[in-house]
Amino acid sequence: MSFFDGLRFRRVSSPIHNLDPRIKFIYACVIFAVAIIFWQLLPLVVLFVMQIPFVLIAGVKREWFRSMKGAAFLASIIFFTNLLFPFISAGYVITFSSLEYALAMTIRFLVLVGSFSIFFLTTSPDHLGLALEQSRVPYEFCFAFTTAVRFVPVLAEEAQTIMDAQKARGLELEKGNFLRRVRNYIPILIPLIVSAIRRSLELAEAMESRAWGATKKRTNLYVLKLRREDYLFAAITVAILAIAIFVRLCFYIPRLEEILAGIV
Amino acid sequence: MRRKPLSAVETRMAIIETKNLTYTYPGAAWPAIKDVSIKIEKGEFALITGPSGCGKTTLCRCFNGLIPHFYQGELKGEITVAGLRVQEHPVYELATHVGMVFQNPENQLFALSVEKDVAFGLENLGLPREEIRKRVDWALQLTGIYELRERAPTELSGGQQQRVAIASVLAMQPEVIVLDEPTSFLDPLGAKKIFEVIYELNKKLGITIVLVEHRLDLTAKYADHIIIMDGGRVVLDGEPHAILSSEEARLIGVGIPKATRLYQMLKAEGVKLGGKVPLSSEEMAEKIREAFKRHD
Repeated sequence: MSFFDGLRFRRVSSPIHNLDPRIKFIYACVIFAVAIIFWQLLPLVVLFVMQIPFVLIAGVKREWFRSMKGAAFLASIIFFTNLLFPFISAGYVITFSSLEYALAMTIRFLVLVGSFSIFFLTTSPDHLGLALEQSRVPYEFCFAFTTAVRFVPVLAEEAQTIMDAQKARGLELEKGNFLRRVRNYIPILIPLIVSAIRRSLELAEAMESRAWGATKKRTNLYVLKLRREDYLFAAITVAILAIAIFVRLCFYIPRLEEILAGIV
Repeated sequence: MRRKPLSAVETRMAIIETKNLTYTYPGAAWPAIKDVSIKIEKGEFALITGPSGCGKTTLCRCFNGLIPHFYQGELKGEITVAGLRVQEHPVYELATHVGMVFQNPENQLFALSVEKDVAFGLENLGLPREEIRKRVDWALQLTGIYELRERAPTELSGGQQQRVAIASVLAMQPEVIVLDEPTSFLDPLGAKKIFEVIYELNKKLGITIVLVEHRLDLTAKYADHIIIMDGGRVVLDGEPHAILSSEEARLIGVGIPKATRLYQMLKAEGVKLGGKVPLSSEEMAEKIREAFKRHD
């Protein structure tokens, strides 16, 4: 099932994969913040290009491009709405600066998607759960999270089985107009939900049998420890933030129009 | 074949004992088990069998307190497990004495790696990390899945998953391991492997095994004690040879081992192979060999 492939984390090892998930998360947030404080095209493009080395080091080029492709539709909506309003207010003419602005907003969105997809592509759900736990998120939530991830492929397989079974009974999924097609999925959803509920009962039973809730203070087999690479990465992150704030406050950032005018 | 003495040894004590145990699920019209009085002794390999819906699973749920704590409903009679009255102790406390392995291996593994799954129970108990690490490795080695420790459960075969489930209860070092039809999702070879693993645990570590199973062909030879249930009641309870060769067991529809059936059919036609009733193909082969020797 190609749709679920994106949710499946591939177990690979790279310098980026091995970084502490908490630092990686902070990195993604810093990029987010920096993207918010600029609205000019030039720094946003720089920010976008900065993501590429990370993608290359992590070796998740193909997956990253796939998620960018997924974002393309929303990105185009952002581009056209940002173009539309200046277009109307300027009296139905497209100016160079409005084009630049729309492009900048689109790149800003792509920066956000790109940086967070690096985070999710290079962090195993196990690590993520662990990071949540060590950030003092209540264990029940962390457990719900990792279990949900664990059962995605199981449920996907089950959905496929139910679909095959219902097709064998004469259900035609690709028939009719849009509403009709949505309704065609009801005979798939109901058995899927029922079996998911059954499954959850069995899971609860198994959890109880393995001393769930025995103590408030649970230990964890693994601990996340910051290593030298993590500190280095944290330093890079802080540097990016500091430089961005410095540039934002102390420099005038030229618009593309002005740069072009300067060259000419 | 190894056979532990079942006869009255003074030091033997019951690790699971029920007296007139009757249980009704909430909202059910009649009880799922009725007047069950059994005694399973420490170190025993007990086999529970009987037609589907006869209350085997319900009985197992009583052993670690899922009934009455998780399922509610009405439990009458007495049940003590490892010296604890089940009604008075929460499931997590009983879980350290009784490990439970369920039918579907997929639904009892929660973590994203085998190792983490085996550690799950120990983490819940709040044991120190070094102790968890030690016990996890021990359990993984005993069940023969040490090499798989970093794999995700979804990547494993059913048989491997079920061994992970066994390892994960084993890590909690219980006195009893209850397995509720652990092989019904597995192929014959995977099933055989599971039975070998639990037999090892029984023999080497002296862990009491309660196995619910239909495949008596593969398991009867390991058992010290067979309990046959039908319609929520225990109908036969005792030593395997006697029980499996009885007419009642056959009539209930228990899957009598083929070797046992063969022996009975030959006997009915006047062919006497002598000795005890065989429970497995190996025992039968031995008997036939002996019979040929006598003829020569």
